[in-house]
Order: sequence, then C-alpha cells, then structure tokens
Amino acid sequence: MSYKISEEGNVATVHLDGEIDMDVTEKAKEVIMPLIEAGKEVHLNLKEVQYMDSSGISVLIESHQKAAELGTKVILKEISKSVLKVIMMAKLEQILIIE
Amino acid sequence: MTIDDHKEFPVDSASLKEIRNFAREVLAKDEMFSSTKDDVVLAIAEAAQNIVKHAYSGQPTGDTMRVEITFKDNELKIDLYDKGKPVIPENIKPRQIDDVKPGGLGTFFIGQIMDEVIFKTSASDWVNHLILTKNY
Repeated sequence: MSYKISEEGNVATVHLDGEIDMDVTEKAKEVIMPLIEAGKEVHLNLKEVQYMDSSGISVLIESHQKAAELGTKVILKEISKSVLKVIMMAKLEQILIIE
Repeated sequence: MTIDDHKEFPVDSASLKEIRNFAREVLAKDEMFSSTKDDVVLAIAEAAQNIVKHAYSGQPTGDTMRVEITFKDNELKIDLYDKGKPVIPENIKPRQIDDVKPGGLGTFFIGQIMDEVIFKTSASDWVNHLILTKNY
C-alpha cells in the first residue's frame, strides 16, 4: 500500500493505492487517524485500491466512528469496483459516507 | 477439468499477499471461476488471516500453514491447515451484520462467499483443518 496526502483548508485528501489487508492496516491507521484527530474532514480516495479485506473495512469503520465522535467526517471517494463490492457485502454502504 | 494445487506459507500477515497471488494463479486456470475468483480469493485470504490472528494470536512463529485448492466434479474445495491453538468451532461466530464495529467481518465474508464451512481438529501432522467448499 502506498499513499499520498493533500490538504486544502480543513479538508485532507488521502489517496490510497494498492492492496489493503491485515499487513498494512496499522500503516493505514497511522496515516488517517492523526488527520481525524486534528479535526480535519478526511476524504479517502479509493480509486487505486485493488483489494480490501475485512481488516481494511475495519479501518474504514474505525475512521468513520472516530470522525463522528470528534464532530468531523470521513468521506469515501471514487471507490474502486472491487472495494465497493466488499463494502456492500459488509452492508456498510448506508453507514459509511460515500460520494 | 480438475485442479489439485497446494502450497505452504509462513504464518505471518506478510504471507497474505502471497496466498492471494497463489489463489489467483490457481483460479485463473479456468474461465469458470472468472466471475467468482475475487470473492473466493477474499474468502481464502480471510481464512488465512484468521489463522494468523486467532490460531496464533498474531504472535511471531516459525510455523507454516498449508493451503490446498482442489476442483473436482464441479466442487471447489479449499483446505487450510495450521498448527496453532485448536479451534473451538462453537466459539466462531460471524459478526451480527447490523452490529457496526470493526472486527468479526472475515468469518461473515467467508460464510457469504462459500457454500459450506467445516472446522476439523483431527488433521494428521496439523492441528486445525478448515474446509471451504463452493459448488459450480
């Protein structure tokens, strides 16, 4: 997994790339959580994520819940087809914020 | 068409990508799997992840796990073997899907994707034996 962060005002956009599994979830959290804790609205661009398993989905849930707790939000953008399929299998498309 | 492939991997989260690639290579052998390949790869990877996370509690080990993929008489069968803590099948419950929390999703995914999931603890040379099947 690789990532790129850009910030504009209070919005931080994180472009994730590659495969997100148990082996990289800590790294993903280390990238996303500080932005949420800083009160940023986080846009997660998942266009280049070819694979995500339950560990990756857990990161999305934790990020969403942490943001809600701190009064901000995490918005999932340009979700790849394969990741969207897993989100839908987990029946989270109505819970996570997807644009 | 029949398939009979197997490979052993170190019990480590770093092996998950290799396991996915092995499963992808095997399932690429027949067009029949093209529409379900990604799902089955996910199920295999989730099962392997459960071995790392639960059978070994995420602790470093020199052990390996074995993944066997066979296809015969329209049945795809995945056998996963490990030497971790014995699995107590009654304790393995998928997360209630309306309970939104991190964790417990892997077993739910496996159940959604595969037709049958069987745990055995009597495999010779191994401790746990998980059998996943899907009919085509």
